[in-house]
Amino acid sequence: MSLLSAIFLLPLLAALVVLCIPRNYKFVIRLISLGATFAAMLLALALFARYDAAPVENGFKFVERHAWVSVSALKLDIGWHLGVDGINLGLIVMGAIVAFAAACVSREIKRLEKEYYTLLLVMTGGILGAFASLNLFFFYFFHELALVPTFIMIGVWGHGENRNYATFKITIYLSLGALLALAGLIALYLQSGANTFDLVELTKKVKSRPLPLAAQSFIFPLLLFGFGILVSLWPFHTWAPLGYGSAPTATAMLHAGVLKKFGLYGLLRVGIPLMPDGAGAWLEILALLCLGNIVYCGLVAMRQKDLNLLIGNSSVAHMGFIFLGIASLNLVGVTGAVVVMVAHGFLAALTFGLSGALREKTGTLELEKLGGLLRQIPFLGAALVMAMLAGCGLPGFANFVGEAMVLFGSWRVFPLVTTIAAWGALIIGAVYMLRAIRNILHGPGKPEWAELQDASAWVKVPFVLLLGALLLLGIWPRLLIDKIQPSVVPIIAMAEAKSADKAVRPSDLKKGAEDAKQRAVRPR
Amino acid sequence: MNVGLEHYLTVSAMLFCLGLLGVILRRNVLVIYMSLELMLNAANLALVAFSRFNDNLTGQTMVFFIITVAAAEVAVGLALIVALYRKRQSAHVEDLTSLKL
Amino acid sequence: MSALLVLLLPLLAAAGIALVWKKDEEFSAQLSIGAIALGFVLSLGLFAFTPAKPQEFAFNWLAVGDLKISFGFLLDPLSKLMLLVVTGVGLMIHIYSRGYLHGDRSFSRYFASLSLFTFSMLGIVLANNLFMMFVFWELVGVSSYLLIGFWFEKHSAADAAKKAFLTNRVGDFGFILGILLTWLALGSLNFTELASALDGKALPFASLVEPLNRLVGSTNWWTVHPNVLATLVGLLLFMGAMGKSAQFPLHVWLPDAMEGPTPVSALIHAATMVAAGVFMLCRIFFLLEIPGSHALEFIAWTGGVTALLAALMALQQNDIKRILAYSTLSQLGYMVMAVGLHAPGPAMFHLTTHAAFKALLFLGAGSVILACHHEQNIWKMGGLHDAMPRTWWTFRWGTLALCGVWPFAGFFSKDAILASALEHKNIPLFVLGVFVAGLTTFYMSRLVLVAFCGNARSEAASHAHESPGVMTWPLVALALPTLLAGAIGIDAFIAKALPSEHPSPNEGLLNNLFAPFNHNILAAGFGLLAVVAGWQLARTLYTNAMSDPLPEKIGVFAKMARDRFYFDELYAWLIRVTQETLARLADWVDRWIIAGFVVRGTHGTTELVGRVLRLVQTGSLQTYAFLFAAGVVLVLAWQLLGTSPTH
Repeated sequence: MSLLSAIFLLPLLAALVVLCIPRNYKFVIRLISLGATFAAMLLALALFARYDAAPVENGFKFVERHAWVSVSALKLDIGWHLGVDGINLGLIVMGAIVAFAAACVSREIKRLEKEYYTLLLVMTGGILGAFASLNLFFFYFFHELALVPTFIMIGVWGHGENRNYATFKITIYLSLGALLALAGLIALYLQSGANTFDLVELTKKVKSRPLPLAAQSFIFPLLLFGFGILVSLWPFHTWAPLGYGSAPTATAMLHAGVLKKFGLYGLLRVGIPLMPDGAGAWLEILALLCLGNIVYCGLVAMRQKDLNLLIGNSSVAHMGFIFLGIASLNLVGVTGAVVVMVAHGFLAALTFGLSGALREKTGTLELEKLGGLLRQIPFLGAALVMAMLAGCGLPGFANFVGEAMVLFGSWRVFPLVTTIAAWGALIIGAVYMLRAIRNILHGPGKPEWAELQDASAWVKVPFVLLLGALLLLGIWPRLLIDKIQPSVVPIIAMAEAKSADKAVRPSDLKKGAEDAKQRAVRPR
Repeated sequence: MNVGLEHYLTVSAMLFCLGLLGVILRRNVLVIYMSLELMLNAANLALVAFSRFNDNLTGQTMVFFIITVAAAEVAVGLALIVALYRKRQSAHVEDLTSLKL
Repeated sequence: MSALLVLLLPLLAAAGIALVWKKDEEFSAQLSIGAIALGFVLSLGLFAFTPAKPQEFAFNWLAVGDLKISFGFLLDPLSKLMLLVVTGVGLMIHIYSRGYLHGDRSFSRYFASLSLFTFSMLGIVLANNLFMMFVFWELVGVSSYLLIGFWFEKHSAADAAKKAFLTNRVGDFGFILGILLTWLALGSLNFTELASALDGKALPFASLVEPLNRLVGSTNWWTVHPNVLATLVGLLLFMGAMGKSAQFPLHVWLPDAMEGPTPVSALIHAATMVAAGVFMLCRIFFLLEIPGSHALEFIAWTGGVTALLAALMALQQNDIKRILAYSTLSQLGYMVMAVGLHAPGPAMFHLTTHAAFKALLFLGAGSVILACHHEQNIWKMGGLHDAMPRTWWTFRWGTLALCGVWPFAGFFSKDAILASALEHKNIPLFVLGVFVAGLTTFYMSRLVLVAFCGNARSEAASHAHESPGVMTWPLVALALPTLLAGAIGIDAFIAKALPSEHPSPNEGLLNNLFAPFNHNILAAGFGLLAVVAGWQLARTLYTNAMSDPLPEKIGVFAKMARDRFYFDELYAWLIRVTQETLARLADWVDRWIIAGFVVRGTHGTTELVGRVLRLVQTGSLQTYAFLFAAGVVLVLAWQLLGTSPTH
């Protein structure tokens, strides 16, 4: 078992162990879950530390390959192929850290602990496995492995009277999205003629013989909307706030933070490089749709009366920046999108974790009922303020770096969309985030919360961890960006192989400058 | 008269139809069960006939499988019917509609 | 490297207090004060002993493709002067705060926020590129949010903090767009590189015209002109300054920001935050004066209108801190107007002197407020000059400087601004400037006459006593520059950094004292005349007045001035009809159209189909078997009969 496979096989193994433990040994079950996720986190950090940005063949490191099913008669070839490059490295590390934080906050679960922790560990293993897989079969398989526990967890351990409706909604939406994506992937498999699900092989094949235009133009929308539904692309977003609002804290953290990025990762890894022409036709539409996320969902967030619905909507809004970065399809924008993916993972986990802690203390998340809590719970309050400010793009937190890069990248391609997105980032985001702080933490203290106690030292651990990660990447972004950038370059190169006429590039600018100079010099 | 493949197949088809009619029309579960066996044996007959006339043993191998599996199936099926009878005091299909919503 | 130390010391202090020494209040204060004191000493060293030639050093902070952003410092006379102002005035305010906030429940949190604020402001001062400046710009915004909302349990303070942050964000929106446009056109964000890129170029933004036209789809009757772009860049960047320096129409947050503790008001108003906007305009002045750009005209008039409006609003305020707040707005208007009049030097000069005397005035006001048991209404004060001698004479000096009385510092800097208006033949703005100077004297005299002179009008005022030394000594320390800063040659020092049309040499203290009269007697004369007129009017109206006589004389206008010309109401209405309505609409659509009609509709249709199909499920095994057999027969028949004719 190599380092990479250990990261996600460890939680899966731990899930099996937990299954074998009698349900009365709650402490042992929790200990094993914490231990497994903690070990996975340490392994992921070791992976991050050992990863260097030096170029290698195919661009992937820590590669692990085994044959699995190979039936030549059926033209079927499914192999076990793992590997990391700059793009999934950050996601795996982020996922492992969030998984540990999620295991930490799972203290709130008070019934059916054994089943809960089993599902949590399966979900963790599935998420990390999906990001590590370079074979589209396992890529999809691990995603489903993580997705199914999500539904069960919301249904069984969820909160609120809308729980059942939310479970139905999220299940149907996400299954539909996954199904569309699956159809796209299978079509890709059939149309590429490579007869393999192996991403590296597929890439090689497509490089030498691009997919036929007709195939691209129907596969790409399948992937775009399939993955888009998984990432709550407007207008397929309504499952997200409701689902997160009803989900148990750890599930919301893991799904909103990590699993949701699967769709974006798939779009970036599979959709855009393999189908540059199919993508070219849709990118402008994608840029417009992401305004739906940023502005529309931001406006919706302004009207929410429940903290979880507010941050659920804001999480949907943040997805818009990632879509915008991807749509801009240049080095700065796409790198920025990857940074936002990682940063938002930490942020979403942090905000949902904090709202969970708040609900545990007060029993409600209705903004009207809360108020003046900063005096009672200084640590949770300060962490919430920091999370909210990070959410509205404050420098010093990783989100700012990513969002700024997205704006710089997309500005060349979609100036108008970028202007509106900047409004959404700076103003609309600030309006609802500050409104939440104002209603929950500021104002005179209310008598019903006078007895509230701040978080104990153990409760603080996950929040300190997540805040630390956000701050570290915000202050020293090169830590991540220097690793991402070399891996984005080939994707951009493949995407630009066909659609080379869309963006304003610096070379154009220089040329434009010279033209203009000549024009200026020319006598009228 | 020379007995050809058609004769075997005709007999097999007739047996199959008899069995099917039995399954659809009879009310007693035990009889339905016997009719099912009849259908299986119709298939066996056809397979053996094909095997004989095509000079290929695959069909006969298949029949062995079917007979073995059918034996196991009979054991399980009869056990189910007995269990059902004990619970419901009836072996008539009209009484067994609890699948309906 | 010592510049880095100046920057990081307050950050370390803030982090140390927040993470380690939160419980030890006394040590927190000492840590915070120590950090800025050391910073002040280092800044003095930088100011005195480093060469005037700009020095720059940078770390590579982020580099992706052609986007290169460094974390770097630019140390030139401009930033050195500003370092001195920020740390010097900041130090006094830090020390004063220890007395003012004594016994507050969140003493340590206060000093942590104060240090964070100082750090952010120093970052703006030292930044060598637009992006770094924006980063610290935002950090100043958020630390002001923390400080204005320091007493967050008061509704008004929490609302004011939110309002300040959001108003600033509107400005930042323009700022970031300006940065994006600059980067796209000139390919860099570094000030030095930008300046050299612009040097001698006729139409620097011409490079953007062609691609932009392509993007927006130019037609025969509509193309982007490079001059329009140049103006646009200037205006967008100015929008950032509008937010931070509270220029009309984004001025509304500043008076509300008075909800913070008084030393915070002093810090925000005197040396930091609001100064940041003017400093930024001076820093990027080369971007504003691109030939063909009309940004400066707009800036000058925005400044002028702000100065006038704020002075008019100040006439009828009764809260001592609010009067000072509007006077800050008005003085900032002067500075921005100066920048607009191609005179960034005088703007920086006024910023420097204003930092000293406005900090003094605010701290003095804080002393008065504490003495009167948190009474802020000047009509409930009176007769304080006997009870609080040290506060009284320092406050009077501050007032004289603000009004622009020779030889106080304010006279020199304001005169420089008026003189540049004259030199640019901008008579309307000159008249406006002189008129505002008169108004300034009038409302400040009103404040002094009502609050300090006459008889005590309330119980609290009659029992007032002088504040402790930790609060009064900073006043004395600030009184010194209030008197001297005008004539010791600061303007000559600034001239090294900023292009000035009249580089005024430093000719020694005595010559400097009379330089304004030699240089432009008209400006100096009119300025002093306005002061005399304002004082005479205020004296006749307010000497020993028990209530304000002005509302009777000017009627409805007084009410409008008191209600701040209804800008807050106007904005509240605008926000309600635009953003709120949009939010309501989006929420409604989300709830009823997308989640309701479309999603539930799909769900309903599916369920209906399910209900119909359920009828087929009879539950009878034999029916299923029959249907199954029938199906097989049908398929077989279709296969066999359908294909047979082709054989």
